[in-house]
Amino acid sequence: MNELVLEVTDLVQEFILRDRGGGKAGVVHAVSGVSLELASGESLGLVGETGSGKSTLARAILQAPPPRSGSVRLRGVELVGLRGRRLIQARRHAQMVFQDPFGSLDPTWTVTRLVQEPLVAFRVGSAAERRRRAHELLELVGLDPVRYGNRRPRQLSGGQAQRVAIARALALDPSLIICDEAVSSLDVLIRAQVLNLLERLRTELHLAYLFIAHDLALVKQVSDRVAVMYLGKLVELGPAEALYRRPLHPYTVALLASIPSPDPEAPREPVTGTIRGEPPSPIDPPSGCRFRTRCPRAQDLCASQEPPMRQLADGHFAACHFPVNADAPAPEATAMSH
Amino acid sequence: MAAPTEGLVPGVLEPAVVAPPPGEEGRLGRLRVLGGIWLPALLVAAIFFLCFVWPIIGPVPSPTGGSILNSNDPSFTPGHLFGTDATGNDEWSRLLYGGRASLEVALAVTAVGLIVGGTLGAFAGYVGGWRDGVIMRALDVLIAFPALVLAVAIAERLGPGELHAIWALSFFSVPAFGRLARAATLRVREQNFIAAARLSGTGHVRTLLRHVVPNILPELITFALLGMGIIIVLEGALSFLGLGIPPPAPSWGNMIAQGEGILSAQPKFVLLPSAALFITVVSFNLLGESMRARWTAR
Amino acid sequence: MTAPLLELDDLRVDFRQSGHVVRAVDGLSYQADKARTLALIGESGSGKTVSARAIMALLPETARVTGSIRYEGTELVGLSERRMRALRGNQIAMVFQDPARSLNPTLRIGAQITEAIHIHRQVSKAEAHDRAVELMELVRLPAARERFRQYPHQLSGGMRQRVMIAIALAGDPRLLIADEATTALDVTTQAQIMELLRDLQERLGMALIMISHDLGLAASYADEVLVMYAGRAVERAATQTLFGHVRMPYTRALLGAIPRLENAPHTTLAAVPGQPPDLATQPPGCPFAPRCPEVTDKCRETAPPLAEQEPGHLWACWHPCGLEDSAAEEVAV
Repeated sequence: MNELVLEVTDLVQEFILRDRGGGKAGVVHAVSGVSLELASGESLGLVGETGSGKSTLARAILQAPPPRSGSVRLRGVELVGLRGRRLIQARRHAQMVFQDPFGSLDPTWTVTRLVQEPLVAFRVGSAAERRRRAHELLELVGLDPVRYGNRRPRQLSGGQAQRVAIARALALDPSLIICDEAVSSLDVLIRAQVLNLLERLRTELHLAYLFIAHDLALVKQVSDRVAVMYLGKLVELGPAEALYRRPLHPYTVALLASIPSPDPEAPREPVTGTIRGEPPSPIDPPSGCRFRTRCPRAQDLCASQEPPMRQLADGHFAACHFPVNADAPAPEATAMSH
Repeated sequence: MAAPTEGLVPGVLEPAVVAPPPGEEGRLGRLRVLGGIWLPALLVAAIFFLCFVWPIIGPVPSPTGGSILNSNDPSFTPGHLFGTDATGNDEWSRLLYGGRASLEVALAVTAVGLIVGGTLGAFAGYVGGWRDGVIMRALDVLIAFPALVLAVAIAERLGPGELHAIWALSFFSVPAFGRLARAATLRVREQNFIAAARLSGTGHVRTLLRHVVPNILPELITFALLGMGIIIVLEGALSFLGLGIPPPAPSWGNMIAQGEGILSAQPKFVLLPSAALFITVVSFNLLGESMRARWTAR
Repeated sequence: MTAPLLELDDLRVDFRQSGHVVRAVDGLSYQADKARTLALIGESGSGKTVSARAIMALLPETARVTGSIRYEGTELVGLSERRMRALRGNQIAMVFQDPARSLNPTLRIGAQITEAIHIHRQVSKAEAHDRAVELMELVRLPAARERFRQYPHQLSGGMRQRVMIAIALAGDPRLLIADEATTALDVTTQAQIMELLRDLQERLGMALIMISHDLGLAASYADEVLVMYAGRAVERAATQTLFGHVRMPYTRALLGAIPRLENAPHTTLAAVPGQPPDLATQPPGCPFAPRCPEVTDKCRETAPPLAEQEPGHLWACWHPCGLEDSAAEEVAV
């Protein structure tokens, strides 16, 4: 059995909204008690729309900024509570690739210098060795170091810039890479290239991915398991194939129905049957089940009692009182075992 | 170089026209862009050359110690291009040396502002919290005063003199640069490449020096160039009020002050330093503007 | 067969950029009919947005437009600004991509809608108010009367886009151009907005041109699809036809690159190498040649013309898929 690269338990992240005078005007409940696990070499997709908290979750995992409460164990080491140099040391096994490739690369640095930065920070090898390693990394991501090494980010295309970001992320031999909408800003064909690259690196280097996106089809294609977030909470978690074939949570059903299929013959179930209304505000989330205001299956129980995350099929969990496609509800189980 | 309007799609970042590595740009384009920078740069270089280098290597008489026997020579007298003043000093020489004094002050004040103010502002913007608050409140107090009033008050306290003028004007330039540096730092700090640097393991000091500073520098330098013009005028005002460079050492400001009394009789004593001031300030402004245009076009 | 509402004929748009000329749109021709949806599909640099802005005469000074754009018989290229303004927003309306940037953050949304109404109609303030509320209800904006007095920042992205659509509809346009109108929105919201647009089209009989990079969207909502690459139309057909037999390798590449729900996890996507072309340095021949898996010397020398090679299906390719020599399999849809 694979060891666990990442264990997140009851993570909570909040932001305080200030009004004009600086007083507290409200609290944004960005992440409200999320737990998940990732095994070495496994790929977990995290899907959610705007306001779901998925990006905030990613940053909270990396302690940037640290979460309000909860636990994050990276390769067995607890990150929450660590600061300064100790945090940097413990965190080196996790890296992140951001959505905007240009925003994540310092425009005044050259490509080689950017890729070397983690090596410099951790004083790995001599200057010559670092340079060699940077060239290796660039080749690994499909960029010719001679041609691209001295360029600055604005002399690169989006796809090339993202490859540089990936090369940098690989510099310290991480165990976990968090891809936060890493391909969403890229053109369709370039996106496919970068996805294939990420897939190849995953198998070659035995990396674990936390792949965050709002596109369920994309996520499903690159992940072993998929987690669905809504308004700060995990609503469903399960094997990618199972989630697609037998979604348990009504929100997952809505997401699947919203995906435009490139097949004009495919039957179109209008989305309006699966979800209604507008996303509520994370400052004042609905009581009980947060999805209830938009759920076509909502009942009184949903308003008064928050549904716990229950295992309803093999390795497949959902937080819903009235799940879809479920057989007899499994016994209550709040812990999720892998 | 992004394509004209394609690629405005905020979700899709592939630029249709990928900027070629340096050296591959079209010739004509290069000329046009650089024309905007080269002309004012040339002017500024010429002004510096005239004020700092020419008096040393060229036939420029001393600006002071002229003989009263030569007083009030008209322009184009042999040996005196613009004539002499009431005490026999060569006007051309006074113009050049006066420029040197004014520019020295402006450079010093800008340098102090850039280094001290820039550092304070960048630090405040980067660390945030109570340290940011303390620094900015201190700078705010200084900014609250109109620049000239502040400078006059301090210069009055200290008395006339080039060094004192630099001191007085620095009280204005430090907070100005500080504010700008802080605002620029705040903007840069939000960028993902700072987060990426931290994730790469880079410490705070290195992040500040190697990531933040290079990215706010263009803005600061542009501001410095535009500020040179302002400082020169302020110095001129101080000298005009008798608080900057004291006569007989010339500065454009005190030359204007001295010439004011005989403005109708001999307008050249006011017009010449004023024209010099004007040309210098405009040159710096043009240079600053074209640099700003260049940086924002990127 | 009624006359088309909008007809483009050999449209070309050039930009002067630092000394050289960039041809953003290179000979585009198509028609848009009433109550039908045409999808313009392309990636960055394809020219789809530039061509739409050319229709609306919203291009910057550096642009030079040649060719013909006829709206109900009236030639739009070279039309005076005054006459264009009468058409813009009134008969031809456009919805842009990012509602956050298109709405004035300092004006209440009710005011922005009534402003649009006043431009095109001589009505009293009260009438404009009622019409605005009517429009807000038409675009299914919940609690229309209350929202009237709200500011854009108080609305979600989906709601703001609905406001944009309401503004676009204020003049009762016959043609609506949606330029990546749903790209910045969440998937569920995107689906809702697309369904709204299609619904409105049915009700109001508008012609709809939807511009996108998402072929999936085109498959689901368009009657006809036109694929663009490097400023040219490379394939055009009715939706069923195009997806049934894709001919142009670029279109096939686009289809292959879309992640499908049906695919098992860790399937490799069919990806073509290379980058979108640099419009400033266009070599002769087919613009897709550097990346095309079917490329031959002929492709590099001569650009294939866009021609109707099968009834109702036009493409520009020397070696189309599914025919003659290409070993390519029929696109599995």
